[in-house]
Amino acid sequence: MNIKDIFTPFTVWSSVLKDPVTIKNPIGREAAPRYRGFHYNDINACIGCGTCEAICENQAIDLVPVEGIVTKSGDSGLRPMVDYGRCCWCALCVDICTTASLRLTNAYTWVDTDPDNFRFIPGVDKKDWDEVQLGWRKPEPNYSFYGLHRQHMGELHAEDRKSSFIEFVQGYSKEQAQQEADRCVSCGICVATCPAHMGIPEYIKAIRNDDMEEGMRILYETNPLPEICGRICTHKCEDVCSIGHHGDPLSIRWLKRYIADQIPTDVNTYQDILGTGNLAKNGKKIAIVGSGPSGLSAAHYLALLGYSITVFEKLPAAGGMMRYGIPEYRLPYDQIDKDINYIASLGVEFKYNITVGKDITLDQLSKDFDAVFSGTGLHLGRSTRIPGSDNENVYQSVDLLRDIVTGKPVPVMPKVVVIGGGNVAMDITRSMARLQMEKYGKVDVLATSLEDEDFMPADREEIVEAREEGCTIVPGYGPQEVVLENGKLKGLKVWKCLSIFDENKAFNPKFDSAQERIFEADMVIESIGQGMDLSYLTEEIKSKIEFNNRGRIVVDADYQAKGLPWLFVGGDIIEGPDVIHGIANGHRAAMGIDRFLNG
Amino acid sequence: MEHARLQLVNKLFNDRPKSYKYNLFQMKLLIDRLTQHYNLTDYKQQRHNLAFVTVDKQLSPDIITHLRDYEGFSHFVLLSCVDWIEDDKLQLTYLLNQPNHKYEIGVRVLIDRKNPEMVSLHKMWKQIWTYQRELHEAFGIIFPGSPRLEENFVLEGWTEKPHMLRDFDTKEYAERTYFPRPGRTSNDPATYMREKLYPNQPVTAKTNKND
Repeated sequence: MNIKDIFTPFTVWSSVLKDPVTIKNPIGREAAPRYRGFHYNDINACIGCGTCEAICENQAIDLVPVEGIVTKSGDSGLRPMVDYGRCCWCALCVDICTTASLRLTNAYTWVDTDPDNFRFIPGVDKKDWDEVQLGWRKPEPNYSFYGLHRQHMGELHAEDRKSSFIEFVQGYSKEQAQQEADRCVSCGICVATCPAHMGIPEYIKAIRNDDMEEGMRILYETNPLPEICGRICTHKCEDVCSIGHHGDPLSIRWLKRYIADQIPTDVNTYQDILGTGNLAKNGKKIAIVGSGPSGLSAAHYLALLGYSITVFEKLPAAGGMMRYGIPEYRLPYDQIDKDINYIASLGVEFKYNITVGKDITLDQLSKDFDAVFSGTGLHLGRSTRIPGSDNENVYQSVDLLRDIVTGKPVPVMPKVVVIGGGNVAMDITRSMARLQMEKYGKVDVLATSLEDEDFMPADREEIVEAREEGCTIVPGYGPQEVVLENGKLKGLKVWKCLSIFDENKAFNPKFDSAQERIFEADMVIESIGQGMDLSYLTEEIKSKIEFNNRGRIVVDADYQAKGLPWLFVGGDIIEGPDVIHGIANGHRAAMGIDRFLNG
Repeated sequence: MEHARLQLVNKLFNDRPKSYKYNLFQMKLLIDRLTQHYNLTDYKQQRHNLAFVTVDKQLSPDIITHLRDYEGFSHFVLLSCVDWIEDDKLQLTYLLNQPNHKYEIGVRVLIDRKNPEMVSLHKMWKQIWTYQRELHEAFGIIFPGSPRLEENFVLEGWTEKPHMLRDFDTKEYAERTYFPRPGRTSNDPATYMREKLYPNQPVTAKTNKND
């Protein structure tokens, strides 16, 4: 013992008049600012994706329905309920939360005699600490359990791609696809939004496991056109991807393409993987009018059930708008053929260059076959009907796009103006740019739409890519007149568009005539939407079926026409327009036909 | 834009108290001195008054002794561990404090995960044996000669594998050990949405195959 040890105890006397650091009554003492106490969930921001439940190491979280929260696209309507008998306050649920709606407050004291009260839905069951702002929150930005940014997709440079029609999106490598797939939290929120309800988390898991055959089987459960959809799907799933709330949504479309791209073109390989080499026929025959996505989908799922299918197609090849509407640089013909050849290998017979209503009547089909599915699509261009729109140099985008595919000579002039802001308008804009490059060595195409840039119906990337390729996009103007000089087309007169819809949400655009512009042009292309050609329906058939106020045929949940049991209708003439809706309703109609014929 | 950003950074830097630049400078000198004597495989300046260095397992007692006896790191703050399961390593961090300059250094040592053993440093700072006892319980690291190493630290009667190793399956343990609470049910979001929004729509392909 030394002298220091004797005197040290007396040094505490120096603190005798200081405030004590301990607290007399510790009940009610506030915790540290980042203390992890009871949960609070912002139930309006929460989408019920269940990643909190999935990550919880203690199984303390259940997803339960909550009164007043409706299940809808992008929101399961479920909310997390926490069992505090199990919660260890680790906050993994907060750190993984895709919407950052869940947090832990720093409230940690609560006394209750009923143990069941310690199981409640944060944010729904009102608690004293709901307003407490301190506590643990998801650290943002640049902190996440999953990759926030999507894998970059390789593309040809604008200068290279605008001079040809070759596909410019290059597809993912195995490494890229697996890294992209790794970002998925497998919540499955996207499945309800996909019109075909594809097993998205499952096929993304197959990519993670590098099991392409399993991936292919999952794709074909609900979608018989994976190469096509993997390229040009409108990917509504990506709009609701939970990762997209605080990061880039998963590239679901490109991942689908990745799976399909890995399978060799040979149809026998397809049949081996999908187990469809030995289908039993059931002796019944179905006619399908139109070989677009809905017709092909119906044909595929009916063929699997053993029906003998004959597809009648007006044009010289199958695919409908996918072949004759979507340009080759977005969807190469060999990829369309790859999907269609497999469907044909199931015994589906294709009859080309046969127009139903002209070469053979629908009535005849109803007699020759047990049921008829019609998916004839929207192939008639709509005109703006502005003064001068009847000029010979005013064209319809659908006609030109079809002519490009069939190889008919397409008029290409040095200055082109496109009216329209949708995906078809972008397709014709970019196709004309390519044809101009071929003919004149420079691009001079201008596309104008009623909608402002933020509301243009075209996909964002279409607009960006069109601009990269040298096209001019001028949103927010409405066409008033095709300017003619001695009968020769000189340009397009437009006024600034102030609003598109009136108070009743009816289409009724208002313009400011003071803000007038004239776009010089040698040729004007109208691309403001398409109409259906139902001329193949005879008056007798028309009198039996019903039409709604939009002129569409009324069908039931099985896509069976009301009033005519043997007729099933699907594709763009019923809903959409897009490929994935057509695939979905073709599948449902196939199941409907099976129920109709087999009870 | 870039220039404006640099100006802002400079302003923030110059407006800091003197100790910020002084500390940073002193730490740089310290690292320079250390690298003259020892092979530091990794060095990271985390803050102006905190740096991390990674050193060889064999050299680490030597470097820690050097830091204490020649560089004034008289205060041992803590000893912690991270499981780098992908690299098959456990990472020990000895955090030391220099009270005169008011800066800290974290000495990181990577040890083999399959054979986790490390020299006991309890002779240097007596309290280290408590940390070593904790790490023995949580990660199964053996510190030969460390007092009371085998005694329970926080877990009484633990017979499972060390619980902080990342291949310890917490969920499986929780399911096995704690009884399920009656009345609990949960829902899978995708299945629930299908039942609510599209109960009758096909989600699989039906086939008619020959047997």
